[in-house]
Amino acid sequence: MSGAVGREAVFPTRQSLGLMKNKLKGAEIGHSLLKRKSEALTKRFRGMMRHIPVPHLIEALIILATDITRRIDEAKQKMGRVMQIAAFSLAEVTYAVGGDIGYQIQESAKQARFRVRAKQENVSGVLLPTFESYTQEGVNDFGLTGLGKGGQQIQRCRETYARAVETLVELASLQTAFLILDEVIKVVNRRVNAIEHVIIPRTENTIKCLYRLLPVSLVQANHSEDINSELDELDREEFYRLKKVSGKKQRDVAAADAEILAARQMAAEQQAANPKAPGATAIPVKEVETVDVLGEQEDNDVIF
Amino acid sequence: MEGLFFNVNGGYVEGIVRGYRNSLLSGQNYSNLTQCETIDDVKLQLAPSYGDFLASLSPNPSTSDLASRMTDKLVAEFKYLIAQATGSSAKFLEYMTYGYMIDNIALLITGTLHERDTRELLERCHPLGWFETLPVLCVATNIEELYNSVLIETPLAAYFKGSLSHQDLDELNIEIVRNTLYKNYLEDFYNFINTHPDFSGTPTQDVMAEILQFEADRRSINITLNSFGTELSKLERRKLYPEFGKLYPEGSLMLSRAEDVEGVALAVSAVADYKAFFDAVGLSQGSGGLGGMSGGPADGKSLEDLFYQKEMDLSKLVFTRQFTPAVVYAWMKLKEQEIRNVTWISECIAQNQKERIGNFISVF
Repeated sequence: MSGAVGREAVFPTRQSLGLMKNKLKGAEIGHSLLKRKSEALTKRFRGMMRHIPVPHLIEALIILATDITRRIDEAKQKMGRVMQIAAFSLAEVTYAVGGDIGYQIQESAKQARFRVRAKQENVSGVLLPTFESYTQEGVNDFGLTGLGKGGQQIQRCRETYARAVETLVELASLQTAFLILDEVIKVVNRRVNAIEHVIIPRTENTIKCLYRLLPVSLVQANHSEDINSELDELDREEFYRLKKVSGKKQRDVAAADAEILAARQMAAEQQAANPKAPGATAIPVKEVETVDVLGEQEDNDVIF
Repeated sequence: MEGLFFNVNGGYVEGIVRGYRNSLLSGQNYSNLTQCETIDDVKLQLAPSYGDFLASLSPNPSTSDLASRMTDKLVAEFKYLIAQATGSSAKFLEYMTYGYMIDNIALLITGTLHERDTRELLERCHPLGWFETLPVLCVATNIEELYNSVLIETPLAAYFKGSLSHQDLDELNIEIVRNTLYKNYLEDFYNFINTHPDFSGTPTQDVMAEILQFEADRRSINITLNSFGTELSKLERRKLYPEFGKLYPEGSLMLSRAEDVEGVALAVSAVADYKAFFDAVGLSQGSGGLGGMSGGPADGKSLEDLFYQKEMDLSKLVFTRQFTPAVVYAWMKLKEQEIRNVTWISECIAQNQKERIGNFISVF
């Protein structure tokens, strides 16, 4: 598993080890949160699925979705039956009235009798909209339609269609919930998979690699605090070394400056004494001295 | 004596109608229709009587398309009749179209009230209620203009005048307007067949009086039953009852006071026919609600069904009389019922609800 996911490209330092450890912790917390969410969901739906163990959010969501699918199926079948009855009652109206009343009905309807209220239900962080239908009593815009003949059929037809719309609203509520749940399941699934199969193994891998790349003495230290202290030691040494190097460099520069100064003075004196041979003596002296200085420096610098 | 000269003017029309009557679907046809599996089968079964008119229908047409084609045939035949009729017969046939005109005008009033483009509504108007000046009504943009043009342009002016003002069109429910017009129309028609010199004392008066009386009573009863639970007051309701018929005046008065179905049953108990209907659907005992075709009655008949049945029986009887244009009226009613029957049957077939397919009224 760990071989496939590789490791993150970090330098083997104490700082990146710390970062990796934080990352691992974060991933584990995320994972357990998702798990806890699933338990909340399970509790929420315990009534209907007591016998099914739900170890994971995904499964809880899928069971919820399955339940909704079942209810959608039921609602659709009910819809089919109700619509059939409704269509048939319209046929009765056509028979009784003997004409087309559609236009009159459309024009005389001014106020909605059948209304829908939209609500949001929070199922442990998943917002599911639910639609609730209710009838506004007292609104009866075409109560007189078919007064001469067919009035009773029209009223009955209206009631049948009201029932049909009720079922339709129920179905819409379920369908929307299903769609949203589907989306949530997909997202959570992706997230959980990413945490479980990519982020955690890769972070673990990186940490392992860091241990391997760090000095041998550290590998033997099993306890993480030991490792930390060793790494701190390492950092301190490195810092000291850098300081030392820069100190030496400063000293060398100062020495070189002094020599150049001395050489110039000497040359000036020689010119004053013997102007014929000014640089012949000065240059060899300088070269020899420079080589010596470098050699000395190298020896001193080598610490490891 | 009335038969002596009738055939000079009315013989041809009557002969044609008797021919049309023979093409009405019989019980045998209906039982064939109920055996059909698809609308196409229905179409095939209807071919002998409706041939040309169904030919242009697409395969497996909708029931409403089927019904509209059948109506087209009825309209075409009626238009031929009205073109052939002369004198008082022509006047009689015109009277028959007024009922459809009322529906069309109610449609236009609804459209104008809601400020729709009424031109689009012309397509929805019933072709039998079409008159030359109907499109003129579409010019009206407000209800007052419409009212004036109705008064000027239509034969219905008499029905508006005196009982409806243009404010009424604005304020009253369109159904009340429609039923007021219909009441005036029925009274006028009744008056026409009773007082016109060509018809009084003839078989036309006999049969039409009975049919129109039945129609008036049926409307009164239906209006009463349908007004329960609506905002229609008793006083307004009373204004909608036609002032003739077997129930008028005592029965109408009792109807106007009725508060529930029992009250209606009591009001109509004086007339044996209607009492029998109410007993048959079990309304007089107060058991069950208003029975409908899907409702309580054991034999599946509703009050409306029984009324239709009665109307068909009356129409059938008209054909036993001769020398009268009333046969046209009867034929039209029978044909309309036939269209309703076929629509019902094809609806049952289309919706796969075969158990109620027999719920139509077959006369012949």
